Amino acid sequence: MIDTNIVDRTTVEGNRFDPARARGRGTTDLVRSFRTAAALGWKMEANWTDPLLFFIYSVAKPVASALILVFMLQVIAGPSGIALRPFVIVGSALWSFVVSGVAGLAWAVLDDRERYRMLKYIYVSPSSFLTILIGRGVARLAVGAMGAGITLAVGVVVLGVPFEPLAVNWPLLVIVLVMGVVTISALALVMAAICLQTRQESWDYPEVVVGALFLVVGAVFPLSVLPLPLQVFGLISPLTWWIAGVRQALFPGGPSSIGGPGSLWQQLSGQLNPSAVQVVIALLVSGAIVTLASAILFRAGEARAKDRGLIDRTTGS
Amino acid sequence: MAAPGVVQPTPGPVTAPGLRVFVGRPTASPQEAANWTRRQVWANNLHSIVGRAYPRVRGLTREPSWLVFQMLLPFLTTSSFVFVYRALDAPPAYIGFVVIGGAMTAFWLNVVWMMAAQLYWEKDQGNLELYFAAPMNVMSVLVGMAVGGLVMSSTRAISIMFIATVVFGVSFSISQWALLIAVFVLTLAALYGFGMMLASLFVMWGREAFHLTQLMTEPVYFVSGLNFPVGRLGFIGALAIALIPLAVGLDAMRQLAFVSTGPTGTPEPWVEALILVAMTAIFIGLARWLLHSMEERARREGRLTVRWR
Repeated sequence: MIDTNIVDRTTVEGNRFDPARARGRGTTDLVRSFRTAAALGWKMEANWTDPLLFFIYSVAKPVASALILVFMLQVIAGPSGIALRPFVIVGSALWSFVVSGVAGLAWAVLDDRERYRMLKYIYVSPSSFLTILIGRGVARLAVGAMGAGITLAVGVVVLGVPFEPLAVNWPLLVIVLVMGVVTISALALVMAAICLQTRQESWDYPEVVVGALFLVVGAVFPLSVLPLPLQVFGLISPLTWWIAGVRQALFPGGPSSIGGPGSLWQQLSGQLNPSAVQVVIALLVSGAIVTLASAILFRAGEARAKDRGLIDRTTGS
Repeated sequence: MAAPGVVQPTPGPVTAPGLRVFVGRPTASPQEAANWTRRQVWANNLHSIVGRAYPRVRGLTREPSWLVFQMLLPFLTTSSFVFVYRALDAPPAYIGFVVIGGAMTAFWLNVVWMMAAQLYWEKDQGNLELYFAAPMNVMSVLVGMAVGGLVMSSTRAISIMFIATVVFGVSFSISQWALLIAVFVLTLAALYGFGMMLASLFVMWGREAFHLTQLMTEPVYFVSGLNFPVGRLGFIGALAIALIPLAVGLDAMRQLAFVSTGPTGTPEPWVEALILVAMTAIFIGLARWLLHSMEERARREGRLTVRWR
């Protein structure tokens, strides 16, 4: 039987029932979910300590990564290794951004499922699960971007990397950075889908996967030193083109990670190094393929997790 | 005669010799029931160690993705640094340095993620209060975690060592096998002692624990000279040798495995072995003390079992 009081209350002038509350408000809801998830992610990342300590923790890791490589150069090449520092520092700084970005979404899944046990509630809420996950990952992307920026600054100020702001190809930098963020988010989505299937021990899976990609993307050494089959993987990966694009934008005319004498790129194209336009096109194409594939993989992973009851599973060892 | 409604404990069926100590037995008073013999205490703690190690060892066979993520992919990460040295035409011994460093990171990551941060996870999951309430020494939980973790990370370390040695043709020049094995064992003892000590600290530090695990990866790799001789870091390297078991263990193993590289500017391997012995004793002693303090605090204030702080 219908409660007439409820009907009366909802039809009173100025207090009508809003059908959008049940149906959803489309983009407005998505934006609100994303904003809330991003704010929550940031609070979870940053509100545990005072800002100075948070800053130190956030930059110590990428700066240490760069220093490891700088010392490797120093030990073997001595003073002549200084010329290679820009190459190594840019690659290392960008890589810390990749690590942070890819780990963000996977850790959001593990955090919410294993630690806070909220994933099942988030999943059944009316908000889009994908939007919430991406929102949660934004905070770690921001931390990663900060770490990468500081690493570059340390490289310039402390390690003597020659940097000319006027020589920077700013349009190229902006274009490749935007496309890079999309690609990294796509890879992060794949890791999130994988972590939905696995147990609590998968905290270090993102780092392990990214560590393996580190081999083929020319982050800290040119692809030409790799065996040919690995160079093929490198040329397929959008991250290779992203790093090469940023390098080319920041240090125009500097050594390329893709080309060089005897490289696969040279054999295929006949050119020593790819041009800026070629880098952008390659990044666009490979990034689009990876992004589409990641969306499919995420949906498949999500469906499998739902089917097997993995969304509310908690594990321990 | 028993009070109405109270069931008098009777000796249960004894199916295996070792189970007798846990089977309910008739006693004159609760005090007598609680008064365990030394043998019972030891047997109970040994069972606790086995029980805590079990999910880690057994879990290896229950997560097939482990094979890829913990054995194959870490080898690729190590390979990256090998190619950095190849790009620089470094002497072959440096490739061996990277391979040993890559293998030892397996243990270090295990210590950081699954020892140091583990009690914090347990607190979040609600297990920590059960550990405190259980009739056992909580140290046996830490030892069990270490034993299980050692088995887990050994698979990763062995696979990195084996594959990298074969693929990159690393040739070791070892003259003191016994000392090398002793240093390796001592390094693991010191590493896991360090992890046991940090486990209690991380519980006290609360949410910062997670971020501390981040701070203990690359920055520690750098000061420990993971991919290059730690002696090249000067004072920072010396400090790392004095404080971080990974740094001192790696340096000693490299000196023993690549005799031909000559002086590294760091103490002799036998001196570093003594440093590892001292570290093991200090870390395990501190772990016991910290755990005892934490247990006292947990019982007195009841705050340490509050989750998500």
